[in-house]
Amino acid sequence: MTASGVRHAPTAAAGPGRPPARSLWAGIRLVRLYAASRRVPAALAAIAACAIGLRITLIGHWDTYGAFQLPLLFEAGSAVAITATAASPLGEPERITGRWLPFLRLATALALTAAAAGALAAAGAGAHLAGGTLDVVRNLAGLTGIGLMCAAVLGGGLAWVGPTGYLAVGAYGLYSQWHHPALTTPWIWPARPPHDLGAAICAGLVFAAGMAVVTLRGARDPAGE
Amino acid sequence: MTAASAPALARPRPATRRPGIATARLLRLELRHNAMLWMLPVAIALFWLTTYRKTMAMPPLWNLRAASMQAGVVVAFVCPVAGAAAWMGSREARRRMADLVTIAARPRWARQLATWAATTGWAMVGYAGCVGVVYGVTAQQAAWGGPLWWPAAVGAASLPVMSALGFAAGTLVPSRFTAPLAAIAAFFVLVLSTELIHGSQSYWQVSPVVTGPWDTGPDAGVATFYPYLPDLPIAQVMFLAGLTVAVLGALALRRGSGGRSLRAAAAAVTGAGLVAAGTAVGLAGTGKLDRHGMIAIPALHNAASDRPIHFTPVCSHTAIPVCLNPAYASYLASTAAALEPVLTEIAGLPGAPARISQGAAAYEQGAGNDVGIGLAGPVISGTPPVYRMLLPDQQLGPTLTNGEFASEVRSTVGPNIVAIVIGDGPGASRAQHAVAAALMVAAGQPLQGAPPGTAATASGGSARCERPAARCPAARSGRGAGGMNRPPGLTPGSPAYAAARRFAALPAAARHAWLMQHLAALRAGQITLAQLP
Repeated sequence: MTASGVRHAPTAAAGPGRPPARSLWAGIRLVRLYAASRRVPAALAAIAACAIGLRITLIGHWDTYGAFQLPLLFEAGSAVAITATAASPLGEPERITGRWLPFLRLATALALTAAAAGALAAAGAGAHLAGGTLDVVRNLAGLTGIGLMCAAVLGGGLAWVGPTGYLAVGAYGLYSQWHHPALTTPWIWPARPPHDLGAAICAGLVFAAGMAVVTLRGARDPAGE
Repeated sequence: MTAASAPALARPRPATRRPGIATARLLRLELRHNAMLWMLPVAIALFWLTTYRKTMAMPPLWNLRAASMQAGVVVAFVCPVAGAAAWMGSREARRRMADLVTIAARPRWARQLATWAATTGWAMVGYAGCVGVVYGVTAQQAAWGGPLWWPAAVGAASLPVMSALGFAAGTLVPSRFTAPLAAIAAFFVLVLSTELIHGSQSYWQVSPVVTGPWDTGPDAGVATFYPYLPDLPIAQVMFLAGLTVAVLGALALRRGSGGRSLRAAAAAVTGAGLVAAGTAVGLAGTGKLDRHGMIAIPALHNAASDRPIHFTPVCSHTAIPVCLNPAYASYLASTAAALEPVLTEIAGLPGAPARISQGAAAYEQGAGNDVGIGLAGPVISGTPPVYRMLLPDQQLGPTLTNGEFASEVRSTVGPNIVAIVIGDGPGASRAQHAVAAALMVAAGQPLQGAPPGTAATASGGSARCERPAARCPAARSGRGAGGMNRPPGLTPGSPAYAAARRFAALPAAARHAWLMQHLAALRAGQITLAQLP
C-alpha cells in the first residue's frame, strides 16, 4: 500500500470543534475495535464458561480438600482469561497512536475483573461455595494482579504463567492447613480465611500494582504475535 | 551483488540423505527456542515450595520421601509443562506460519514431534534435577535402605503425557487462551480426580499422584519390613506411556500430517496406546490393599515381594534393650530415652520382656478410604519374651516432632509394657491397677485421669481427619501400641489411688524387692490393696 492509498479521515473529526454525536460514535468505535483486538468477547466467553463450570461442579459432592480447592481453580481460569486480553497484536506501533490507550487498558481490565467476580459469585449463589463471595473476590483480584504484572514483564501471551503458578501455590497453601507445617503468610491469600485482613490487603496491593503497571506500560508484546 | 555477478556452481551437488543428522539439527533448534526452558525456574520454584520443603521435613526414610516426592513433583510440574507444551503447540498458528511451513520437506507430524520432544526433554531435565536433589540429600541422611526408583519412574512417565496433552490442545485449538486453560484443566484433572477414589479397588488409582491407599498419604510403616510393591507403579507407567503414545499418534491422524502410510501407522500406534492405557486402568481397578500397606494388583504381583526383608536391628543399651528396624535408627535415641524410666522399673522382674522390639504394621481396608492399622502378630512372643510395638510414625497421622514422638511413646508404649508385666487390664484386681499406676508415676507419668490413647479403635487404626490439623484434636487418638489395653485411671480419693501413691513413694529398691517377691501373687489376683506396702 502506498501513501496515496491511505484514506484520509474527515478534517472535522480530528479538530477540536467536532460535533458531540460524531465524537461519541468515534469513542464507541474505538472501544469496540480495542475490545476486538484484545479478544475481549472470547475472554468473556471463557469467564462465563468458568462460572458455568463452577456451578456444575458445585452440584457434586466434594470432601473438604476439594471444596476449598475447587473455587480457586475457576478463579484462576477467570484470571488468566482477563490477563490474556492484555496481549496486543499491534505491539509498539499502537503505543504512539493516541492518548486513550492507557484508559482503555484500565477500563478493560477493571470491567472484566468485575464481570468475572460477579459471574463466579452468581455461580456460587445457593450452593456451598467454600469461602463465599469475599473469598472469590479476593482471590480473583490477587490472581488477576499477578497476571497483569506478568503481562508487563513476560508479555501478554505468557501472562498466564503467574496465575497458574500461583494456583499451585494457593492449592498447596490450602493443603498445608491439614498437613503441617502450615503456610500462614498473608501473601498466600487463598489459604487464609475470607475475613483475614492481611490477606485481603496483600491481594489488593497485588491487584493495584498489576492494574497500575498494565495501565501505564501495557503488556510487553512484540508486534505480530 | 546482482544476480549477474553471482558465481555459478560448476555442477549441482548431489543431495545427500542423512535423516539422523537432520533430525538432530531440528531437535537442537527446537531445544534452543522452547518455552519450557523458561518455565523451568517456575517449575523448580513450585517444586521447592510445595514438595521439597515438605519432603525434607519428613524423617529420612526412603519410603516416606520417595512417596512424598512422587505425588508432589507431578503436581508441581503439571501447570508449567502442560502450559508450555500448549504454547509450543500453538506456535505455528500464533505466528501465522502454518501455511509457510506446510511446504517444508518434513511431514507436519515429524516437525510437531520434534517440538514435543524438545518440550518434554527440558521438563525431564528439570525433573531429573529435582529428583536428584531429593534423593541425594536423602542418601546422606537415611540410616538404611536405598533409593526407591519406581516413584521416580512414575513421575518421569507423567511428564511426557502432560506435555503431549498440552501440545495436542495447543495444536488443535491455537488461541491465546489455550495454554492457560490447558494448564488449569490439567491441574484440575490431576489433583481433583482423586476425589473419585473410594477404597483400594478404584480405577482412579492409576493417577500418578497416588502412591498407596488414598487418604493415608506417605506412610512410614510401609516398605521397611517388606519390599516396596511395584504393582501400582507398573500399572501407572503403563497407563501414562499408553496415553502418551495415543495422543501423539492421534496428532498424525489429521489431514495433512503426512502420507497415507504414515497416517495408517499412526492409527495403529494410537490404537495400541489406547489399549495399553485401558488395560492399565483395568488393572488398577483390581488392586487391593495388602497386609503390608501397599496396593497389590493380582495380575502384576510377584509373590517374592511378600517375603519380609532381612535386617539386623539397631538396639539401645537400656536395662531392657530397645531394638528398631535399622531404617528407623534415627528414632532409637528418643524411643529409648522415653521408655528408659519404665524399663528401669520392670527390669529383672519375673515375666518382664527381655527385649522391646519394633514390629511391622498390619493394614486393613475399612469402609470407604478408611484404613485400620495394627501390630502384625502378637504383642508378646518368644522365650525369653519379646515385647513388640509399633512406633507412632508407623501409624496414620501427621508427622511428629521429636518431642511429640517421645511423648507419644512414653504415654502409649510405656503403660502397655507395665500392664503386661503386672497383668493389668479390664479384669484385673484393684491392687494390680494400683501397682501399675504406681509404676507409671515412678516412671514420671501423671497418676490422675484416664491415660492417653484409651480411645483407640479396635484395630488400633485411625482415619485421616477431614479438617485442618489444628481442628483435629483427636487426629492421633488412634495411635496405639499394638492394640493393648492400658491401665485405667484411678479416681482421686479412692483406696486404690491412695495405695498407688503410697507404693510409688517407696524407694525404687524397696518397690523392686517387693515386686520380685509378690509379682506372681499379684498377677494371680491374690494381693489386696491393704497388702500393698
